[in-house]
Amino acid sequence: MFHASSFAKATEDRQGECAEKKELFNRKDRKEPMEGRRHISFRCRHVIAMATPSFRGLERVKGVGHAGRIFACRFINIAYTIRLMNMLGVERLAKTFGAIHAVDAVSFEVRPGEIYGLLGPNGAGKTTTIAMISGLLKPDAGEVFVAGTALGADPRKAKRIMGVVPQELAIYEELTGRENLEFWGRMAGLSARDARARTSELLAALTLTDRAKDAVKTYSGGMKRRINLGCALLHRPQLLLLDEPTVGIDPQARLNILEFIGNLRASGTAILYTTHYLEEAESLCQRIGIIDHGRLLAEGTLVELQRRLGGDRLFALEADFKNSSPDEWNGFHQRFRVIQKSEKQLVVAAVGTRDPAECLKDLLALPVRVENVTVKRPSLNDVFLQLTGRELRE
Amino acid sequence: MLHVLLAKDLRRAWRNPLPWIINLIVPLAMTALIGLVFGGKGDNGALGRIRFAVVNEDKRILSDFLRNAANQSQGNKYLDPVFMEREEALKLINANKISAVLIIETNFVRNYLTAREPVTLTLIKNPAEAIHPAVLEELTGAMVTGLNAISRNFNAEFPAWERVFEGKEDYHRVSFLIDQAGDKLKAARQFIDPPLVSYEKEEPAPERGTNQVAATGNAKGARSANDGWSGLFAYLLIGMSAMFLLFLGQNAMTDLQRELRQRTFERYQTLHQDVWPFLVSKVVFAVVMLLICSAIMFGGGGVAFQIHWQNPLALSALIAGYSCFVAALFAVLVALVPDERRASALNNIAGMALGLAGGCAFPRQQLPVFVRDHITPWMPSYWFADAARSMQSGAGQNPWGATLFQLLLSAAILTAVAAWLFRRKFRIGLH
Repeated sequence: MFHASSFAKATEDRQGECAEKKELFNRKDRKEPMEGRRHISFRCRHVIAMATPSFRGLERVKGVGHAGRIFACRFINIAYTIRLMNMLGVERLAKTFGAIHAVDAVSFEVRPGEIYGLLGPNGAGKTTTIAMISGLLKPDAGEVFVAGTALGADPRKAKRIMGVVPQELAIYEELTGRENLEFWGRMAGLSARDARARTSELLAALTLTDRAKDAVKTYSGGMKRRINLGCALLHRPQLLLLDEPTVGIDPQARLNILEFIGNLRASGTAILYTTHYLEEAESLCQRIGIIDHGRLLAEGTLVELQRRLGGDRLFALEADFKNSSPDEWNGFHQRFRVIQKSEKQLVVAAVGTRDPAECLKDLLALPVRVENVTVKRPSLNDVFLQLTGRELRE
Repeated sequence: MLHVLLAKDLRRAWRNPLPWIINLIVPLAMTALIGLVFGGKGDNGALGRIRFAVVNEDKRILSDFLRNAANQSQGNKYLDPVFMEREEALKLINANKISAVLIIETNFVRNYLTAREPVTLTLIKNPAEAIHPAVLEELTGAMVTGLNAISRNFNAEFPAWERVFEGKEDYHRVSFLIDQAGDKLKAARQFIDPPLVSYEKEEPAPERGTNQVAATGNAKGARSANDGWSGLFAYLLIGMSAMFLLFLGQNAMTDLQRELRQRTFERYQTLHQDVWPFLVSKVVFAVVMLLICSAIMFGGGGVAFQIHWQNPLALSALIAGYSCFVAALFAVLVALVPDERRASALNNIAGMALGLAGGCAFPRQQLPVFVRDHITPWMPSYWFADAARSMQSGAGQNPWGATLFQLLLSAAILTAVAAWLFRRKFRIGLH
């Protein structure tokens, strides 16, 4: 809960500002209606501009009348409060490299104490998104809000409450683990004493105390990854950006890191976690955004994403589908939704809430010789398959 | 902040000293190279006696005069001729024991006295040495010029003189020839002494308020130090060091490229810190390396060639300023081309161009006119080399203070440019 105080302060500041505006509005409105209206109109636009740029079009509120304007202001205040509740807000973020749209209108939020997984294959735009959020890359369009403040408005403030773990091992191999942590702690603004103390804490938490005095170049891949992670945590960030932190390490080391990240979340840190491992996203993240070719295709909890497929069951049929198509089967599309079709396999989900036994009966009655039918719970891979037409591992 | 960054780099260098050792070996090798290339040194930093072989294949009295002339008075002070046959002389030159072989060809005297052919002396230079053979070449050229001058004026009397040398003339005839030669020399005296073109070096005026005796003493000291070859070595060493510092600066700045490759610089950018401290720490670190290398080159060179640096403090300040400029320049080049492989070629070209156009490798006068007049004056390498050389030779006013300011200003501007370029690179995507 280490971030709670500053977060609460920021909320109080904003709420105080809003209350002051409201009071002014009410007072002026009662005494000088016409002037008050003009004032309200200005205030509304001002608050809208500060709150959500996408609401700027709401200047049309003028035509709704006085009550409408009051409602709009309240609505905006609520939206603003919601924004303050999000540790990270990303709105229509876009980045183009030449003809390649690396990131295309990506929007999502990460709340305190939440791990938001950005799941996608290599080259989907995950690292570019993180680079823009961390202030490394300038977005072509869109905006990033960190603890309610636009990143562009005060990047230094945003970076103070942010910790970034790059995909590459951005550490000094010649230095020891302790020296690396202390150095990055000092760079993050800690005093020498605080950096030393925090380094000892982190080395213990990362189970690296016994190797603290060894040069990082002598560490295993998993240990290096842990140091790489630790270097971003010295200043106790409220928002942690993790760019594929478990790439290239053995399952045991991965498990250790995932456990550590889970503990960070429990302490209230908001975490943006990019990965192309389905299992990690499924087991670790509270909400998941599926990204491909720079576009956020879907987002939600695991259950919400599974529901997109039409229920909690999928039917995988193995048969020769070379010469037959579901389009030719009478009423098939009214009863089932095709998730994937190949020459040998057809994966479908039932439309609406239907009895699985009835669904199986229907499928076995199809005009093809079905060799095998498997009923399974839809995975993130199935969601990705449905969204992109290809598997995540391809 | 800066000290934390510097401490980090110092620890890294301590743990991985190989790049540093290589960088320190380079100036040592360079000092040794200059020593090898430009020959040995004599006492008091002077050239020393030039040992060379004289092969007299003419075997006549006049050629013996020529042979022995090298061994007389002033000649004996600087020259150490040995007389031998051609084969033996060639063996010695192959064994690198003599600097050159001077061959007086058969019929040299007859050809000269009859003026049938131009004067020809053959000089075989030792390719392993540079200065001594060059000096001998100049001396031989001067001797040929002198012989030609005599030939032009006394050509008519040569047959008579030849008979004198062969003992076929009586004393009256010899007396007449001497008398005639005396008349001609008397007529030519006004052209020979004093010479029509003369050179006189002006001593710098003593500073106001300085004790006249002390100033004169200093001037004499400076003159004695600049006499001989230490001045030449100092001239060469300053130019070569200015050029080598450019290459060493390139090596020193590879650490910045390493930080980019390892993404540690990028990670630093995700923190709330500005790019300035990181960049300045790299420049400072590179400057420290360049100063150590300079100490080896200038200090070691000074000891090896017994160069008396006229104003060591001012020279040190100039070297520090130049090192700042070099480090900042390569910071800009790293910002322009972060990739190590691609940058290597660009940096080499930039270093060579700055060194050559700045008159480090060749004197400014030998550069093409356009470069000399329009490019060289704008080269910081020229500012440094010219100021250091002027200071060393004592010629004119020492503009080292202004030059130091120019160098430091250039370094500050270049560092600012590098910071701007890095910020821009990061914002548009470095990789």
